[in-house]
Parts: sequence; structure tokens; C-alpha cells
Amino acid sequence: MQITSSKSGALNVATLEGRLDTATAAEAEATLIGMLAAPGMVLDMTQVRYVSSAGLRILLKLAKEAKAKGAAYSLVGLQPAVREVFEISGFDKIIPSYATLAEAVAA
Amino acid sequence: MTDTLHLRLAPEAAQVTTLLDALEAYAEAQELPMKAASRLVLLADELAANVVMHARGATFFAVDVSRGPDAVTFTLTDDGPEYDPLGRGEANTSASLEERALGGLGVHFVEKLASSSHWRREGGHNIFTITLDAAAE
Repeated sequence: MQITSSKSGALNVATLEGRLDTATAAEAEATLIGMLAAPGMVLDMTQVRYVSSAGLRILLKLAKEAKAKGAAYSLVGLQPAVREVFEISGFDKIIPSYATLAEAVAA
Repeated sequence: MTDTLHLRLAPEAAQVTTLLDALEAYAEAQELPMKAASRLVLLADELAANVVMHARGATFFAVDVSRGPDAVTFTLTDDGPEYDPLGRGEANTSASLEERALGGLGVHFVEKLASSSHWRREGGHNIFTITLDAAAE
């Protein structure tokens, strides 16, 4: 799992690449929590092939932290396999996601 | 090109990465469609993580994968304590953000994504087998 940090307008953008799985989850969590600040953060998931339940735990934890900090939080570019996991876990209803970064920034 | 994969690994977190790398290579060699491939890797991660994190005293876990015309069969064997992953309650997937508990999702994924799943205890081993739709795109 590689995470690159950038800015789009006022928002922090974390671009993830690889698998968000059991083995990579803990390290990704530390990096992403460190990047979470108001006014908000977008996770670009375009290059993420898999998200396991360990990965979902992190995405949920970030959502809770964002809410506590009053920061916006959304995901971009969920691949079909990742979207399937979101749908069957109900995460699609609790974490906003957009097709493109431009849409997430405008939201 | 062989259509089966066998791996025997130490029950350590780093070995789950070894397993998933091998499964991705297998799925590519088998030209599995994207959803079939990602379901295989996802469920392998969930099931192997269970063993690595919770099977105290296990000395190994082994994976066997084979491909038939319509289905991929994945079997995970370990010598940890008797444990049926299917014997747990369903995850609550309609809870709100505040109510949502962390965990329990791995088993939920098996129930939703596998065509069939079966656990048995035999010769001091947990043997968990799932079949997946090989055509899922």
C-alpha cells in the first residue's frame, strides 16, 4: 500500500495504491489519521484493488474522527470490486463517495 | 500451466501478504474475471487473518485453490483450536455511523460473496472450504 499526499483546494487528498488489507491496514491507518484535519480530506481510491474488513475498519474510524473534528470526509473512484464490498457491508450508506475528485471537492 | 495452487505458511501476519500476492498471480494466470479474482483475494484475506490473529497455538495454515469450469474452490486448513467461523452472528450492516461496531464483517463477506461455504474439524485441523462463481465480472 502506497499513500501519497496532495492538496485540492483547501482539502487534503490522500491517494492510495494497492491493497487495503489485513497486512497493510495498521500502517495506512497511522498515515491517514495524521492527514485528517479540517476543512477535510478526500481519499482517492482509484488505484485500490481490494478493501478487506480490516481496511473498512480504518475507513470507518476516519469517518468518526472526521465527524469529531468537524472535517469533511469522502472517497473517490471506488472500483467495482471495492464498491461491492461497500454495498454488502452497508458502508455505501455511511461514507459519501464520488466518481471524481472534482465532484468530491465541489460537494 | 497448472490450475491448482497449494501453499503452506507460518501463521504470521506477513505471510498473509505472501498468500494474497500468490492468489493475485494465480487469478491472473487463470484469467479470472475481476470480481471473481477480487472475491477470492478478499475472502482469503479475511479467513487467513482469522487464523493468524486468533488461532492460538497454530503452527501453520495451508491454502489449496482449484479451478473448475464454473467455480473456484478455496480451502484453508489450520491446526489451531477448533473454531467454526460460521458459528457467529450476522454483522449489523444497517447501523448508523455512531452505532456501527467494528468487526464481524469478515464472516459477513463469506456469507454474501461465496456460493457455498463449509467448515469441518478433522484430524486436529480446521478445514474451511468455500466455492466462488468463477465467472463473476
